[in-house]
Amino acid sequence: MSGRAELVRGVGLVKWFGGIMANDAVDFSVAEGDLVGLIGPNGSGKTTLINLLTGHLEADGGEVRVLGQRVSGRPPHIYAAMGVARTFQLTQLFGRMTVLENMLVPGLTRPHSTWDEVVRRARRHLDFLSLGHVARLPAKNLSGGQQKLLELGRCLMLEPTVLFLDEPFAGVHPRLREELLDRIRELHRAGRTFVVVDHDMESILRISQRLVVMARGRKIADGAPDVVRADQTVLAAYAGL
Amino acid sequence: MRWLPVSLVLVAAAVVLGGAGRLNAYWMHVAIIAIYYAILASSWSLLAGYVGLFSLSHMAFASIGGYTSGLLTQSQRIPIPLGMLAGVLMCCLLGAAIGWVCLRMSGPYLAIFTLGFSEIVRITIATEDDVTAGMAGLHTERLFATATTRLPYFYAAFALLAVSLLLMGLLVRSRWGLFLRAIREDEQAAAASGVTVARCRIVAFAIASGFAGLAGGFYAHYIGIMTPSVGDLDEMAKLVVMTVIGGMERLPTAVGGAFVVQFLLEWLREYGQWRLPVFGIVLLLTMRLARNGLLTPLWLPLLRLGETRDQPLVAASTLPRKEPGT
Repeated sequence: MSGRAELVRGVGLVKWFGGIMANDAVDFSVAEGDLVGLIGPNGSGKTTLINLLTGHLEADGGEVRVLGQRVSGRPPHIYAAMGVARTFQLTQLFGRMTVLENMLVPGLTRPHSTWDEVVRRARRHLDFLSLGHVARLPAKNLSGGQQKLLELGRCLMLEPTVLFLDEPFAGVHPRLREELLDRIRELHRAGRTFVVVDHDMESILRISQRLVVMARGRKIADGAPDVVRADQTVLAAYAGL
Repeated sequence: MRWLPVSLVLVAAAVVLGGAGRLNAYWMHVAIIAIYYAILASSWSLLAGYVGLFSLSHMAFASIGGYTSGLLTQSQRIPIPLGMLAGVLMCCLLGAAIGWVCLRMSGPYLAIFTLGFSEIVRITIATEDDVTAGMAGLHTERLFATATTRLPYFYAAFALLAVSLLLMGLLVRSRWGLFLRAIREDEQAAAASGVTVARCRIVAFAIASGFAGLAGGFYAHYIGIMTPSVGDLDEMAKLVVMTVIGGMERLPTAVGGAFVVQFLLEWLREYGQWRLPVFGIVLLLTMRLARNGLLTPLWLPLLRLGETRDQPLVAASTLPRKEPGT
């Protein structure tokens, strides 16, 4: 990440749930222009790490910095205001609101935003995500794949510096998965920074430039995908070899 | 076509205002009380329907508004409108405090918390005889002391309802209204979208409580006496029923619910002891057949009629795929 600005950094992050340590002194950083794949078996602490890095959980130890500022313990809207956007493992839309309204909410939280400008931007993003024709439908009426696309669109409305996507390909029809992959690639080429968590190893390997592997709450590998894939620790932890 | 729903509401308002003079004293009283409940139902729908905060302290705030105004006009000799304004401010402050205390509560926890607050208010008013006159009731100054008919009260109540609906309507149609609905749908996703959830919840509590205080203030200076029963649980249950029967997710349907229930209860009086069981059956049927309220299916088509299609429905494949901003 030489020469590139560090956007989000977690240092020694610790999180306990009852007697279980979900994150054990995890260091994680993402720099401008990264496209990081975050993988690991079930229960390895990936979603907990995302929740800590986006303000949805408070760490029991360690700290989170966004654009160099310590933000640990601050509410999630502060992270969003600093350009940290996220999607959820189980899609969390504003179900009874229309697709367009879902897009307007984050857009209108931006300082100095005007209604007309936000509507124009929302329609542009919806067209880009092939959701323009369903703008007036309630979000709950969309298919699973379209809902994932809408969550991505909602993130874009924040004009984010970094997007954390939690299992964006889970349960998505293969055709829509391709569409989602294409959109992520296009957005990355246009300068967006991504951290993508997923079980779908094939999809993750197709897009990521850097791979981070977690197991039992710890980060066990961090590097170029080809190098990480050949790592014996990773193979042992991830594939049970 | 966009202004169709608004035009129809204005025409209906003109008809009501024009025909009010023909009502006899009894039905005029029923109409005024229905308007009092309409202000309460619409403001409760702002809280429960738009933000999803099922508060059971709304009638307690009406009571606080009424007692504050009644006591101030009596002891400080301030004009009634100023007393009512003081009641509104008091309710806004207390509402904000309650909103802050129960920031992390929702569903049954919030309902029980606000029920507890409501009972504390009612029992305090009932037992503090020296200040509130307790169960005997606090005699309050009448808004139109020299009026010989109820018509001025009707117009005053109607004006208060119109102003309340206008202000609440502006709120729900603004970006803040969008944020409130987003919080109702998913607080976590709203926060991730940059919505200041805590602030919005507190402000919603304060505003809704303020309107409850306004209704309570009017009631105090219309009836001429405030008793602890204004804020009791039966009254709260009636308010919930009104709002739910009308449709709690829209202000006009909540207002309609207040009118329907108030007039229905009066009309059912001729059934004597069967009045409440018959009303109960209406409630059961509504919950079974129209869970979004009886009036929502009438109001929504009206809104759709007023909509204009500003973009053609086109196939996804024909849409441009250019990355925004590039």
